[in-house]
Amino acid sequence: MELVDKIIKGERAAIAKAITLVESSKDTDQQISRELISELIKKPGKSIRVGFSGPPGVGKSTFIESFGSYLVSQNYKLGILAIDPSSQITGGSILGDKTRMVEISKNPNTFIRSTPSRGTLGGISMGTREASIILDAAGYDFIFIETVGVGQSEIVASNLVDIFTLIVGPGSGDELQGIKKGITEYADIFIVNKNDGELKMEASKTAADYKSALSYYKKLDELEKQVLLVSAIEQTGMEEVIKTINQIIDQNKLKGIFDKRRADQLEYWIEEEVKNIIASDITKRLTSKGNIPKYSEKVMKNEMSMYEAVETITKDTLKQ
Amino acid sequence: MTNKSNNGFNTWQKSFEKETKKNFSDAKSETDEGIDIKPVYTKDDLENFSFVENNSLPGQWPYTRGPKASMYTNRPWTIRQYAGFSTAEESNEFYKKNLESGQKGLSVAFDLPTHRGYDSDDDLVMGDVGKAGVAIDTVEDMKILFNNIPLDQMSVSMTMNGAVLPVLASFIVAGEEQGVDKSLLSGTIQNDILKEFMVRNTYIYPPEPSMKIVADIIEFTSKEMPKFNSISISGYHMQEAGADNVLELAYTLADGMEYVRAAMSKGLDVDDFAPRLSFFFAIGTDFFMEIAKLRAARTLWAKIMKNFGAENERSLILRTHCQTSGVSLTEKDPYNNIIRTSYEALSAILGGTQSLHTNSFDEAIALPTDESARIARNTQLILQNETGVTKTVDPLAGSYFVENLTEELSKKAWDIITEIEELGGMTKAVKAGIPKLKIEESATKKQAKVDSGSRVVVGVNKYKNPKEPSVDVRVIDNNRVRDDQIKKIQVIKKSRDTKAVEKALTNLTNAAKDETNLLIPCIEAIKLRATVGEVSKALEQVYGRHFAKSLSVSGVYGKHFEGDEEFMKVESKIKEFENVNGRRPRVLVVKMGQDGHDRGAKIVATSFADMGFDVDMGPLFQSPKDVAKDAIENDVHAIGVSTLAAGHKTLVPELMKGLKEIDPKSKIIVFVGGIIPEQDYEFLYENNVSAIFGPGSNIIESAEKVIDLISDNLSKE
Repeated sequence: MELVDKIIKGERAAIAKAITLVESSKDTDQQISRELISELIKKPGKSIRVGFSGPPGVGKSTFIESFGSYLVSQNYKLGILAIDPSSQITGGSILGDKTRMVEISKNPNTFIRSTPSRGTLGGISMGTREASIILDAAGYDFIFIETVGVGQSEIVASNLVDIFTLIVGPGSGDELQGIKKGITEYADIFIVNKNDGELKMEASKTAADYKSALSYYKKLDELEKQVLLVSAIEQTGMEEVIKTINQIIDQNKLKGIFDKRRADQLEYWIEEEVKNIIASDITKRLTSKGNIPKYSEKVMKNEMSMYEAVETITKDTLKQ
Repeated sequence: MTNKSNNGFNTWQKSFEKETKKNFSDAKSETDEGIDIKPVYTKDDLENFSFVENNSLPGQWPYTRGPKASMYTNRPWTIRQYAGFSTAEESNEFYKKNLESGQKGLSVAFDLPTHRGYDSDDDLVMGDVGKAGVAIDTVEDMKILFNNIPLDQMSVSMTMNGAVLPVLASFIVAGEEQGVDKSLLSGTIQNDILKEFMVRNTYIYPPEPSMKIVADIIEFTSKEMPKFNSISISGYHMQEAGADNVLELAYTLADGMEYVRAAMSKGLDVDDFAPRLSFFFAIGTDFFMEIAKLRAARTLWAKIMKNFGAENERSLILRTHCQTSGVSLTEKDPYNNIIRTSYEALSAILGGTQSLHTNSFDEAIALPTDESARIARNTQLILQNETGVTKTVDPLAGSYFVENLTEELSKKAWDIITEIEELGGMTKAVKAGIPKLKIEESATKKQAKVDSGSRVVVGVNKYKNPKEPSVDVRVIDNNRVRDDQIKKIQVIKKSRDTKAVEKALTNLTNAAKDETNLLIPCIEAIKLRATVGEVSKALEQVYGRHFAKSLSVSGVYGKHFEGDEEFMKVESKIKEFENVNGRRPRVLVVKMGQDGHDRGAKIVATSFADMGFDVDMGPLFQSPKDVAKDAIENDVHAIGVSTLAAGHKTLVPELMKGLKEIDPKSKIIVFVGGIIPEQDYEFLYENNVSAIFGPGSNIIESAEKVIDLISDNLSKE
């Protein structure tokens, strides 16, 4: 495939077109993208995939601008997949992430792609996973996946990355009690942003609160969850962030956690995809047989109970 | 209310309902500000006022009727036309001609590189030199600008906010070298940075150090330049960006309060500087509303300043410059603009402005020519000399309607001011992006009203001219201007004492680290022939450059078109497109170069998204190369370039080049919107631009054209 060679050579336009293909809802595009991905996985790169999530307003994009600038200044190549939260249910999206990534977006060693979230699971999909495979093959050292923190989406996002980072603002320590076990389990690093100006004291206090709360969550074999203080505006604390990321990756590789995670994630995605296919197949059958309106009418007329209706429909639908 | 008048009103109401076949209580029209205008006002509408005082007099508390007792009966307002373009030499010629033709004060427009603190030889400003104003790189340019214009006699207003330090320093040094001491200089420096963060975007540093610079200038001028207005607190650009009159009024006064606090924090007594604060408002087409706005502004400011403990009467008085609305001008049927500007000018006069700029009718297309500038100036000369409006002070005082409107506006603005104060003042509100978002929301609503036809704009969405006149425009050869400026910079850099300049710049950088008044080391550096760019960079080392966060509204535009046929047609075309292509049409909307006027870009982005496009927004001040990278990485179908500062002839070809450099087979189409003279259309089409949308273009029609162009382009593959 010509596209494969171009991607491996790092041609910007080819990478961009390939991401469009994997995100496309068109059947023929899906077909091509499957072939493409099968080719690309034969030539894996060495990318480390890092997830960044956090509630709106904590300065995620500003942090990525700041941290990303630091990384490219250290000669790393950086790919960013930003899932833009600002999409509406009807209508299109305004993708404004790049207005907060002024410096890194200019740098020739970056590739930044925004994707509209379309309101589902924070916008993460198979497409995002495949886009990261494309960037990996294209030779990017780090792939950032940025998502907005809305409930379920963190868990999905964490299944795409080697290391998952939650960005929070000063004062958010109070919300700790409300933090679901899920997030603390999935996040490896907590970054307290806005450690600057008037908020400095507050940020330190928040970091301390997180540290003490997280000490209860230590998992066997894994490194302790790390809490870091940064200021995206003043660009402080960035060296510490990359050091911590590298440390965790090295440790995880040593202990086999790195590969185990990737394997678990693969299981997760296979399961998800199989479920999706089955679900859409079942939905099609349900509609075509028209059992639901038929039996619900019977239930309405008290001719059968709801439970009986469900059982009958299920049997009929699963019948080959 | 007496029975007698009540009877009279009841009879009137019956007649009204009979004539209109409407209930009186339903017969209201709502303004953009959310004020209900009744079909008639009576004496009863003058009651229960909390701001306006019914029997006040001009020049007296609360100054609703004017800052002075005699107003225009003694001396008419100052005709002050804002101008500047190309090199200092050419602007100087233009100024001298205008002064000979009856203009009384100067108002200097600087080009965007100067505003943003870049020298003309900086690569970043390639397309912008000398375009939307005059290029000033060193004090030598400033001296040429005022050649044979005695600065001890001429009041000079300078629209400068970002690079306010080196520009004011250059003005002071130019005066000095003309033999005029700074204490004799009169005029105004805009120095209003907060509104830059809200709408105009020609800032350099982040909000906090920028506020320190504002305070430094207020401090310096209050001590050393008694005839000079230290700041012109401007609502003009807010209205231009789409703010309604309540937002303009409230945010301007709230900005003013923030500046008063900044100056007081330097240890100044409020009466030391408050008499030298001046204001600047826009005058749009809503005739009575604009009059009421100026009256309300004075009323509220008096109250605000009293609360600050001002004792000097002059501290309580709001003095203002006004300019007719640029955004009300249309590219279509452009001679209509002369008429619009005339009514706006009359509004400003009846509102009691101290000075006025009337726009030239061709400003929706390009910079004014000598001829269009003459018509604009004559608009004011006719008002002063032929109409008799100068013969009595505040002639609308006592009008049931105007007094009531003044009160209503005051009330609504006061509520917003109170909200901002509760947030902790305007600097905080601006940092949070609240005013910007409110203004964008208001702008989008206004645009939707025009596009849906619920607001008539003559010659644009109704009564269109079947034979559009062609208009001559002023053409600036920015490459020549840039070359001239670069040569001048080179000569100066060779002849100056480099070591002394470097030392002065280091001093300046050091001064920025403590509390020193920065204007003093700035004047030293400028005297030694440091450039505007060098001075700005010396400060940037400490403060950094500011990049604005961009927030966007959504859904506001689409709401006005529920059930609209045209709108739904575009929506369904987009759905069809998505079915065929597996994704929505994707458009990158950008500004390039140093032009920060982003109202148009924002409106296009939000309305296109409401119709179903996926819209990427680029950051401000992008180079064509950056735009190309952004467009290709996001695999957009089209790029929409918004241009209002005339840089398109350089920037658009650069963009095309940039796209081909990254992807020789790039199929991304480019369309351009904004202020583009007809004479440039051919040039742009030759450079492969697919469509051009001038001011007043209907957005839905434009969107349809864009989706059609994209579809055509894809089907060629």
